[in-house]
Amino acid sequence: MDYRKCAQEIYDLVGQRENLVSAAHCATRLRLVTNDNSKVDMKKLEDVDGVKGVFSSNGQLQIIIGTGAVNKVYDEFLDISGMTAATKADVKAAAAAKQPLPFRMVKALGDVFVPILPAIVAAGLIMGLLEGMTKIWPDMANSGTYQIFHLFSNAAFVFLPILVAVSAARVFGGNIFLGAVIGMIMVHTDLVNAWSVAGMLENGEVIPQASVWFGLYKINLTGYQGHVIPVIIAVWFMCFLEKKLHEKVPEMIDLFVTPLVTVLVTGYLTLTVFGPIFSTLEEWILIAVQWIITIPYGLGAAVAGAIYPLTVVAGVHHMYNTVEARMLGTGYNTWMPIASSANFAQGAACFAVALKTKNQKFKTLALPSSLSAFLGITEPAIFGVNLRLVKPLVCGMIGGAVGAAVGAMLGIGATAYGVTGLFGFLTCADFIWQYAIMLAVSFAVSFALSWILHRDQTDDGEGEAAAEEPALPEVTCEPGKVYAPIKGNVIPSAEIPDETFAAGVLGEGIGIEPEEGVVYAPFDGEISSTTDTRHAIGISSPDGMELLIHVGVNTVAMEGDGFELFCAEGDQVKAGQKLMTFDIDKIKAAGYSTTTAVLVTNSDDYPGLTIKEGACEPLDCVISITEEEAEPAEEVTETVEEVTEAAEETAEAVEEATEV
Amino acid sequence: MKEFSYTITDSVGIHARPAGVLVKLIKPFASKCTITKGDKTEELGKLMKVMGMGIKCGDTVVIKVEGSDEAAAAETIENFFKENL
Repeated sequence: MDYRKCAQEIYDLVGQRENLVSAAHCATRLRLVTNDNSKVDMKKLEDVDGVKGVFSSNGQLQIIIGTGAVNKVYDEFLDISGMTAATKADVKAAAAAKQPLPFRMVKALGDVFVPILPAIVAAGLIMGLLEGMTKIWPDMANSGTYQIFHLFSNAAFVFLPILVAVSAARVFGGNIFLGAVIGMIMVHTDLVNAWSVAGMLENGEVIPQASVWFGLYKINLTGYQGHVIPVIIAVWFMCFLEKKLHEKVPEMIDLFVTPLVTVLVTGYLTLTVFGPIFSTLEEWILIAVQWIITIPYGLGAAVAGAIYPLTVVAGVHHMYNTVEARMLGTGYNTWMPIASSANFAQGAACFAVALKTKNQKFKTLALPSSLSAFLGITEPAIFGVNLRLVKPLVCGMIGGAVGAAVGAMLGIGATAYGVTGLFGFLTCADFIWQYAIMLAVSFAVSFALSWILHRDQTDDGEGEAAAEEPALPEVTCEPGKVYAPIKGNVIPSAEIPDETFAAGVLGEGIGIEPEEGVVYAPFDGEISSTTDTRHAIGISSPDGMELLIHVGVNTVAMEGDGFELFCAEGDQVKAGQKLMTFDIDKIKAAGYSTTTAVLVTNSDDYPGLTIKEGACEPLDCVISITEEEAEPAEEVTETVEEVTEAAEETAEAVEEATEV
Repeated sequence: MKEFSYTITDSVGIHARPAGVLVKLIKPFASKCTITKGDKTEELGKLMKVMGMGIKCGDTVVIKVEGSDEAAAAETIENFFKENL
């Protein structure tokens, strides 16, 4: 893929520099903020080579390009646009300014949580593995190594407020170290560990209290282990205060006054106001979620499982980590199976589309997206495929609901959070079979529905074909000439790696080693035959030339898998019209040569054929009927020489390319 | 007129290559050869048409040969079917 070209096309289609506010990228997407999204031609953006999907969300224009490629396209994009690299946070801030308040708050929550996910996932996986292993070898729990690892596994959870505070300070533009201090205050060892409170109350111990605000009321001196929202609120306030202070305080005393006042005021307010209020609210959220999922017979879980993907679309799903962290404080994480079922179902719906669609571009997007979803990362599947087609999203929601209900009825609980899907087995070590059943159910329901309901939109296919056609040069067909149906490298038919083709049994012509899996009509004519296996097309010209385009060698055995026809027997076609697409990788994977025979089956009717070897673009003239006066013998010798030369040139070109 | 029917045993049926060989095979003969599968009949000399019939393993086809050298042609074709398809 040509990164420069891809970047240039995107740049042009989004309305160039004057319409761009900022640009950033994440693992798979180019994230742009534009002045006016309506100036962006979404439809054309989707058709840019290299672009797997486009959507506009939360004020950002997100262009899915894919892991590995996105950073290269991004670099080119910056180069072309003359913009400087923005961090994702900058882009989000620019986008956030355009959002209504509740949305911004929800977004902030996600922004804070996403950067610390690796820490949470690591801790969660260690926890899952440890749990699993102690199930297998119960003695292990007594070993020193286990105790050390156990320490690793819960460190991130015990000190979660510090991680959250640092991340939040970064998102809200404050000093991250002051943020860390606020986080540390909230889990200070002098405060009673929040996870010990319940036990202490049971034992009749008294929770130490402190009288605050000059005796106005008392607070419990308990920590905020595992809490998230009060931390974020506190740090948000801290950043607000810090910035104001930087503005007002004279520069001379700024260095000690600002941090001092910031920590004093924020700390006091946090422990006496924000903390108590928001831990109460958090309690309610938790209660609400817990209430929903306790609706019996799995109904509550079904509701939660159904709406889960919608919350992913809105970007609020990271908030569930809060709920899950709280759940782990009191036992199993029963939200995780719901999320896992929902995610797996989205993956299954996407997988069904991947298998069923005949649109190659969509297939190549849907397949890896679905696999990613099976591992718990659903954004590519949801944004790239399911949301765009709507039906798979709904099918996934239904599958997720059924799966979640099954999961709830089987009583599945996880020992960590941060992972779902297949990796979820690691954190559901107590419920391996139940978890497998749940995933199987959500997969089956979602896949089946999606498979039944999915229809390739024929309009789309035609639209694509129409969009691609103008890209090719117009050709005025001359009788007796064949224009290259495929982009690739032309070789004489004698070199096709198949005896029958090489021997000219089916006629003389050329082989093309394809670079792109698209077959265009090689001249104006009539489709004289197609096969059920879709790998070969016969076309005849008005002046009587019969041409066979046979994609790959032995590909008849693939029984059509990977091939799609855009024409039918008897169709009148124009040169350059798309006739067929084929999946080069699939043919290679099946172990066949992709070399495509383009043969004049009635070549006996002509005195001879002149062919043009080497690299060809679609619709380059590659075969023409030799004039009667040409001397065939000479032609052949020349041809052979040319072939050798061409081969050498290609080898050189490849070497150069590799060096560059 | 000579006529025989044959049930395809080759796993992928009459695809491009055998069709090509068949067409070449009957070229020297003057007789008119046709191949019939179900209600579809095509001239055996037309590669595209034969391929387009999509004759698969298990299909039964009827070959008809009519003309001056029909006996020889039919024999050649039948041998080819037996050996290759």
